[in-house]
Parts: sequence; structure tokens; C-alpha cells
Amino acid sequence: MNDCKKQIREFIFENFLFDADATALQDDTSFLEQGIIDSTGILEVINWLEETFSMKIDDEEMIPANLDSVNNLAVFIARKKC
Amino acid sequence: MLVCDLLVKAAAQFPQKSVIIQGDRRYSYADLLQAARSKAQWLLASKYPKGFRGALFTDDAYEYISGYFAIQMAGGIVVGLNTQTSERSLLATLQDCGASVIFSGGKFCRYLEKLMPQLDQIKNVVVAGSTQPQSWPAAFAKQWITEAEVLGTETHGASLASPLVEGNDLAQIIYTSGTTGAPKGVMLRHSNIVANTHAIVTYLHLAPADRAMVVLPFFYSYGNSVMLTHIAVGGSMVVNQNFLYPNVILDEMVKEEVTGFSGVPSTFALLLHRSAVHKYQFPCLRYLTQAGAAMAPKLTRSLKDVFPGVDIFIMYGQTEASARLSYLPPEDLERKPGSIGKAIPGVTLKLLNQFGHEAGPGEVGEIVALGENIMAGYWGRPEDSAKTLRPEGLRTGDLAQMDAEEYLYIVSRKSDMIKSGSHRIAPKELEEIIHELASVQEVAVVGIKDDILGELIKACVVLRTGTNCTKKEITIYCRQNLPAYKVPHLVEFYQALPKTATGKIRKGKLAAMADYVDGKEGTNA
Repeated sequence: MNDCKKQIREFIFENFLFDADATALQDDTSFLEQGIIDSTGILEVINWLEETFSMKIDDEEMIPANLDSVNNLAVFIARKKC
Repeated sequence: MLVCDLLVKAAAQFPQKSVIIQGDRRYSYADLLQAARSKAQWLLASKYPKGFRGALFTDDAYEYISGYFAIQMAGGIVVGLNTQTSERSLLATLQDCGASVIFSGGKFCRYLEKLMPQLDQIKNVVVAGSTQPQSWPAAFAKQWITEAEVLGTETHGASLASPLVEGNDLAQIIYTSGTTGAPKGVMLRHSNIVANTHAIVTYLHLAPADRAMVVLPFFYSYGNSVMLTHIAVGGSMVVNQNFLYPNVILDEMVKEEVTGFSGVPSTFALLLHRSAVHKYQFPCLRYLTQAGAAMAPKLTRSLKDVFPGVDIFIMYGQTEASARLSYLPPEDLERKPGSIGKAIPGVTLKLLNQFGHEAGPGEVGEIVALGENIMAGYWGRPEDSAKTLRPEGLRTGDLAQMDAEEYLYIVSRKSDMIKSGSHRIAPKELEEIIHELASVQEVAVVGIKDDILGELIKACVVLRTGTNCTKKEITIYCRQNLPAYKVPHLVEFYQALPKTATGKIRKGKLAAMADYVDGKEGTNA
């Protein structure tokens, strides 16, 4: 799980936070509330999840409980890969 | 009639009715009017003169709308600021409009803290909530005041009188991307906005029972018109302006029994391709409106299938026209695919060819508009105003054809503005920023077609000989200096940019070609 969170954080920094300080993103930080990701960005997240983890995300799964923080993403990935 | 009279009238008729529904919070017309009046009283007590510019910098609907009407009630001019911004963009807008007061959401103070030393004209920053941001610089403590203090302003029992404001006075400045790069402030009079609001209410058949799902930001003219039209009829707005998770919006539409939904083409593309919309039913939904850019007829047909029995209004307009210029009635949607319809009530549209004569049937001409809704001009830009507002009417810059039944079809737009999502982006603004990098010799920014966003932003870069630069470095520089939505989605390196015989960059060709140096980094040895 920790490796997965590290991978997610790297992706978020690489694509959305760039040179921001590491403290800009806690594992429970809401991407939506903090304005880290916009509606275009969430499509990039979904494409990345599908390509990196070889999984298919259903329309119903595109909800904050699955996607809106590092923690939520890590749990979602773990569940999908089981 | 003034714009703020729309609220006063609705609040008199429907005082206890919900006007704003935002998550678990509900505000009645009486609540909204009371908040607007209290803020207006504070502005008057603080001696803001008629015509002052009051900026709104918040993503909270109640804060925004109460501040909007308060500024107008106190004789001021509203400037809605884009909350997706950068320090540089924000500074440029605030300096251009000369705002003397800002109503800001707490989380946006971080921008203002850094900019205050460069904003001499700011008299007050009203921060939402009741506590001072911890990081607020001590040097500016006198300018800062909480919204709670403003709402509790003591006027010793007597209401302070507003200055005399008439229909011809300015009500609002809306900033829109200009073709020359820097955003331009579109000046709208009270009479412009009121006329357009009533026209839209008429053709959408809006009524007090209407309840709109609002996902569009209020600081653009489309969202502004959705807000005002629903207040004009005493309707309700369910506001959630984060379109990150469309399924959340769909749940709210069902739960709150919304009757209307307004979006730009990318809103509908996201709904159709990145949500579970096919599994929902919307028994209360009466209409959809689409504007902001041309929507492919195929997407319109898909919408019709997903929302059977719902009226779909295709609309066309410009910020310079308060919002709307034409609409295609739902009953003509299948008969006239791709059309933007005919002029809205109170507006005259004509097509003028290159010789300034009215174009004949099938002939391409520029859309020129006349009507009570047309702007007063661009703030502080008399030359731009004179070029756009001509004796024959508003020159829209959009080229169109008219069929035998006088339905209009947009053929092309004169400007090379990129439309990505709900945003209009001036390539020149991005080119100027990217050109600031020492290793960049030449840059052209173009839009390339995208099924969801309409257009993606692509920066085509030529590096100076002997320099190197990565795509990431360019992206980071853009992120530091531009709002996130203006950051190019793609950066590609070229040995040279294609040009015409006169040296003008052929942007049409660039949008399609992929003559990049390599996939990751650019070098030019």
C-alpha cells in the first residue's frame, strides 16, 4: 500500500504540483477542495490508472470516494486489483 | 430598471423560497436580500463613491451573489474574478479595473497577501468568515475586515441612501480573453444586462418553479446570465461549480429535482463519456442549454437520446452582448442541425460581407448585432471599443451563413482564440509568457481538436541554437505564471515553424503536424 501511495504522489507532483513543496499534498488532502486537480486533470488521473494498473474504471466508479485523495486512490487501486 | 431590482422584486414575491442551494446549505430570497443590503450599507458607510469597482474573488455562491448585488446597490460596478488564476493574471486584472474593494473567500487570500504591495488602490479586503487569516501581513491590517464585521455594520437605525444610479450606468465589467493577449474588460450597463436577462427568460420560458443545476462559474457571462435569469423569475439554483466528478452533479440533479441544466460542449461531452448518466432518470428535467462554443451535431444527437423529452436549446452569444445573441428553438434541433438559430427577442443580427453589404442567402458574412444588450465598450480601451462597436452594430468577428429561412450557421471565427472546456484562451498571451524563457527562440500556440474539451492547447516551440530546455521546464514556467486552465496540454519542439511567404506562422498546419525533435526534451545544437 505504501509503495502504491508513493507512486500516486509521484504522479500527482509530476503532473499537477510540479515544483511545489512536499507538504502541499498530504495523503488525505482532497484534490477537489484544494484545487489541485480540475475536470481535465481528473481525466488524466483516470487514464493513468487504467494504463499503469491495467484496470478498467467504470462510469459509476468516478466518484470522490474512489479518486479524491492519495488515500482514496490507494484503497481503490488495491480493491480493483484483488 | 437596475440589475439589483431583479433581486428586490423576487424577494418581495418569494421571501421564504430557496434561491441558493449549495450542498446542505439553503438560502432564501429574504436571506440573500438581507445580506446584500447589509454589505451595501457597509460600502455606503465606508464612503465608496458611485462607480467604484468592487471585485468578487470567491467560489462560494452565497458570498458571490450577495456581494454582487451589494456592490450594485451601493452604486458600484461588479468585477467577478476568475478563481482559477495565477498571481500574475490576478494582478493584471485588479490593476486594469482599479478595484478599490475585494470580497474574497478565505482560501483565496493567499494570492492577495502577496499582491497587496502592488495594489495601491485597494481600500478594503473583505474576507469571508469571522477570523483574520494568520498569514495576513501586518502592514495591511487596516485594510482587512471580516465579512462578519461588514454584515454587522451599525448605521444607527437609518439606512444610508444609495447614489442615483440609472439604466445607462455601468453595472458590471466581465473580463474576457482578448485577441491581443491581455484580457479585456467588457463594460455592461444595467440596461444591457436587464434587457438580455428578460429576453432569455422569455425564450427559455423560465418560471418561478424552475430550479437550475449551476455548474458554470458566475464570473463568466454564461454563468452570470444563468444566475440573473433565475433570480429574475424567483427560481432556484442548485450550485456546484466543481465539475470534477460528474456523477456527484447527477446525484444532486435527481435529489434536488432540477428542471434545467446549462453547459458548454465539454460539460456535455464529460457527462456523456465520463459519467454514469445513461443509468439516471431525470423526471423533473425540462430543458438543457448549450453555449460557449459550437457543439458537434453528433453530440447533440447523443444528448437527445440520453435526455429524451427534454428541450435542448442551442445558443450563441458573446460577453460583449451581455451573454446571448441567438438561439435555436428545441423544435428546430433536428431540422436545422449545426445552426445557432435566429436572433433572440430585442436583438437584430445581420451578416455583412467584406464590402460591408448584407450577405445574400448562402453567402458568408460577419455577424453584426444591434440591441439593448450590447456593451458600452472595453474598460480603458477606447481604440478597441471603436473597432468593435461600429455604427452598423457590434462586430462579433464570427463568420456565418444564413439559409433561406434565415437560420444562422457559424462558418468560422475570425480570431484564433482557443476554446478549451468553458474557457477562451488567447494564444498570444501564452506565447508571450513562453517567450520569456531565455532558450525559446520562437513559439506558436494552437488549439487541436479534442472530443471532450473541444480543443487542447498545444505549444510549438523552437529553441535557440546551443540551448536546451525540457517540456517540463516550459510547463512549470507556465504553471508559475498562468492559471492552470491556460497551461498547454502539449508542448512540442520543432526545428522551424511553417510560415507563409510573408513570414506569418501557418497555425492551421501546426495544429496538425508532429514534426517534433524528440519525445521528451528539446535541444537545438
